[in-house]
Amino acid sequence: MPKRSTTRRTVLKGGLSVAAMPLASTLLIDRLAAQGRPVTKVLDFTTAADIAKAEAEGEFTFYSHDSEPAIAGILEAFNKDFPKIKGKYVRAQNSTLFTRTIAERSANKFGADVIQFSEPATALDFQKRGGYSRYVSPQSEFYAAEHLSDPVGDYFWIGVTFVGLAYNTEKVKPEDAPKEWKDILKPVWANGANVKMSNSGMQFVQWYELRKLYGDKFWSEFAKLKPRGFDSRAQQFERLAKGDERICVLAEYAGYLLVKDKGAPVAFVAPADGLPAAPLLCGIADRGSSPEASRLFIDWQMSLRGQNHQQTNPYLYYGSVRKDAPPMPGGKRLADYKLLSPTKEMDAFIASRDSFNKEWNAMLGL
Amino acid sequence: MASTVAGRDAHLGLGESRARMRMMEIVAMATVAAMVAGLVLYPIYYLLQAALDVGLPDTRPPTAYGVDNFVKLLDYPAVLWNTLVVTCVATLLALLFGFVSAWILTRTNVPFRRTLDQLMTMPYYVTPLLGALAWSLLGAPESGFINQVWRKFFGTEALIDITSPMGIAWVMALFEGSVAYVMISAVMQSMDPALEEASAVMGGSRWRTMWRITLPLVAPGVLGAAIFVFAEMLGSFSVALVLGTPARFYVITTAIYHFVSQYPPRIALAAAMGASLFAVMFAMLWLYRWLTSRNSFVTVSGKAFRPRVMDMGPLRWVLFGVVVLYVLASAILPVATLLFAALQKLAVAFPAASNFTLDHFRQAFSINAVRTAMLNSILLALVTATLGVMMTGLLSWIILRSRLPGRGVLEYLAMFPQAVPRIVFAFGMMWAWLVFPLPVYGTFWVLLIAYLTVFMPLGVRTISGVVLQLDKSLDECGQVCGASWWYRMRTITVPLLRPGLLAAWLLIFVASVRELGASILLMGPDSKVMTPAIVEAWFSSSSELTAAMALIQTVVITAMMVVFGLLARRLAQHGAPAQ
Repeated sequence: MPKRSTTRRTVLKGGLSVAAMPLASTLLIDRLAAQGRPVTKVLDFTTAADIAKAEAEGEFTFYSHDSEPAIAGILEAFNKDFPKIKGKYVRAQNSTLFTRTIAERSANKFGADVIQFSEPATALDFQKRGGYSRYVSPQSEFYAAEHLSDPVGDYFWIGVTFVGLAYNTEKVKPEDAPKEWKDILKPVWANGANVKMSNSGMQFVQWYELRKLYGDKFWSEFAKLKPRGFDSRAQQFERLAKGDERICVLAEYAGYLLVKDKGAPVAFVAPADGLPAAPLLCGIADRGSSPEASRLFIDWQMSLRGQNHQQTNPYLYYGSVRKDAPPMPGGKRLADYKLLSPTKEMDAFIASRDSFNKEWNAMLGL
Repeated sequence: MASTVAGRDAHLGLGESRARMRMMEIVAMATVAAMVAGLVLYPIYYLLQAALDVGLPDTRPPTAYGVDNFVKLLDYPAVLWNTLVVTCVATLLALLFGFVSAWILTRTNVPFRRTLDQLMTMPYYVTPLLGALAWSLLGAPESGFINQVWRKFFGTEALIDITSPMGIAWVMALFEGSVAYVMISAVMQSMDPALEEASAVMGGSRWRTMWRITLPLVAPGVLGAAIFVFAEMLGSFSVALVLGTPARFYVITTAIYHFVSQYPPRIALAAAMGASLFAVMFAMLWLYRWLTSRNSFVTVSGKAFRPRVMDMGPLRWVLFGVVVLYVLASAILPVATLLFAALQKLAVAFPAASNFTLDHFRQAFSINAVRTAMLNSILLALVTATLGVMMTGLLSWIILRSRLPGRGVLEYLAMFPQAVPRIVFAFGMMWAWLVFPLPVYGTFWVLLIAYLTVFMPLGVRTISGVVLQLDKSLDECGQVCGASWWYRMRTITVPLLRPGLLAAWLLIFVASVRELGASILLMGPDSKVMTPAIVEAWFSSSSELTAAMALIQTVVITAMMVVFGLLARRLAQHGAPAQ
């Protein structure tokens, strides 16, 4: 796995970030203070939630795009730490969750207490509609400003999922396997490659980042190979493991770990140019019925305890952007990878969504 | 007719109480009619509103209206063509399976009739996703078990490709064939065999009798099943998703799914796509009404009959083989395949001993939400089937036998939910019940309302086929004798309709347990049901875990159906109708 290359630019950027840290921390402390909430320590993390009130509320509802077992796992872990607070959930695919929540709010129904989306565009849209209840968690100090909403307190990056390439080791010899992103354009992969459908936020990031690296024609060349699109990483890797396709072009590391555990004949490749990475974004929904329980849950999610769960639960395996996050399964930290994420150019990225949808749908035959 | 009866009442000197009773009947019928109209039209209003929405995205109510979304449908000719081809082929195949099996099992002396009859309904207990998954495991060009075995012994090319359009139609037909069977056999059971016997006496061969006597007499049931199955195929989602997506083959439902699940969601286009199917459905229904209004299909009259079967001689073993083949392809093979897959870490045709595991079953049972969801599903299905049969039974009666103004419109209304793919109709229901003044949204009540709405066509089509066979004179006879409407219903109509009512109850019960499209969107945090959890497992975990969960669901449904079957038989023994 290549390490992040050190250039004059990265050193300069790093220096600027360090220089800006005291300023950012001061701003954060100011915002925390402005909330007028006392910060207390519970278990091994700090919270500005009123724990007695949170326990009196007794429950909260979590709206999430994650899978049922993943959400159930998170809520069980939280409930183990706070047995008097029960987490309930509503699960839907990202866009359906967004549509449902917007429809509910337009009918003055506020079922969601905490909400998590898998796409920055969705979270920003929700923010523009005043969907979040602002709460600056004391845990925010452990996150870089780019991993928090602007203004801080609406949502945070609960985790990051990143992708490389994967291939079936029974169908492809290691020497023939793709090693760089450009290798996926070889005619040998015609009718033998899988990707995700346009509803995937991760797929959108990959489209954007590789287009930036290799030019606008990159994906139109790839389209000639007639790739097949699927809804989830589980489907992609299952098909790869069974040999229905030979390579997986959007290979989430988390999905790879899942099938590898079963002894599937698959191998993961991390191209040197970098691994596209997409954030998952979590925040407190405005006008929920359990505000204190929601705040406590967010603090817990942002804490080392919550982040550790995100990194180690097999239904999640999300990398943590928390500054002091422990290594992921396999021993690596997120910082060890060269990640490609449109963090600094979010407006341009979001503006290109329609182009992506059109190109991707057409590529997959829709 | 009404004036004649009124005159007769006056002549018989029946008093005011009779008139009051009649008024109550009319009020009761009008209430059912209004309820049905409300259940259907209320969400349809929101659906059409969405289809005509050309304003700001995700803003409700719409900021501007227009027909642009319908015009955009022309951008997807391949999707429309694919849908038409697959739907037509699958409907024809399903009707063929259903009719042939129903004829064999109700009109011939095929061996093991009762066992085969029960096995014929098994494919219906299997969720469509499970069936698609099983056939995907069997017939995928590369990894399909059949193709793996074929390659190992015979050649390098795939023997079958279940992801081709014809493969998709085949799988859809296999699982809808049992619905057609239940609907058609209910009609055949209510048919007086004297007509077939007359044909035999006149020298008609068995095939000629089937073609010239049986088929025309059961035409309403077959047509009803045809319309229902056609609509089911139009709205079929799971099979097209599982088998079509790998082949880059999209039909309307899978296209809609992709439109609503991408960001920004294209709900308006999806709604227009769904709403455009109204036209197709109405054309079908108009044809049905036109055909059934031209002839009489009465076979159950005042004259008593006992259902008898034709002696097929040695041919009965061939017919036995035909039904067994269908049961094998539609139930036994898929269930066995899924069991084989569920017992493996990664399902392959030639597994090593170390690949076998019970982990998927252990995992399925350990998910708390699944256990609760299963109980919720069964409870909801029991209530939906019972209320649904009462509602659709009355509705069928109103449509076919009452003089209520606008009863013809009711039949079209009742078919609306079938005309639109569930995945789109669910959005209409969500918008509708969200703003409803009573707090039903997010509770069991909204699921019950949704199920009663979406399964209305299933009940109406199943029961109507049998109602059409009842001679009006039976009811009129009771009326002349002074029996109230309720008394006539209880003692004459309902006992005679029993096969149809039981079939409808069974169909609605099973359909409720395996419901997916509406549940996904309308489930609240405290009202989770089973099938979405199974689909979720397919998306997020593996085919093997999905197979384990679906098998558990199938076993539970089958066990419940066996219990209901025994109960129904006991009930029939205690109160067999005098026909």
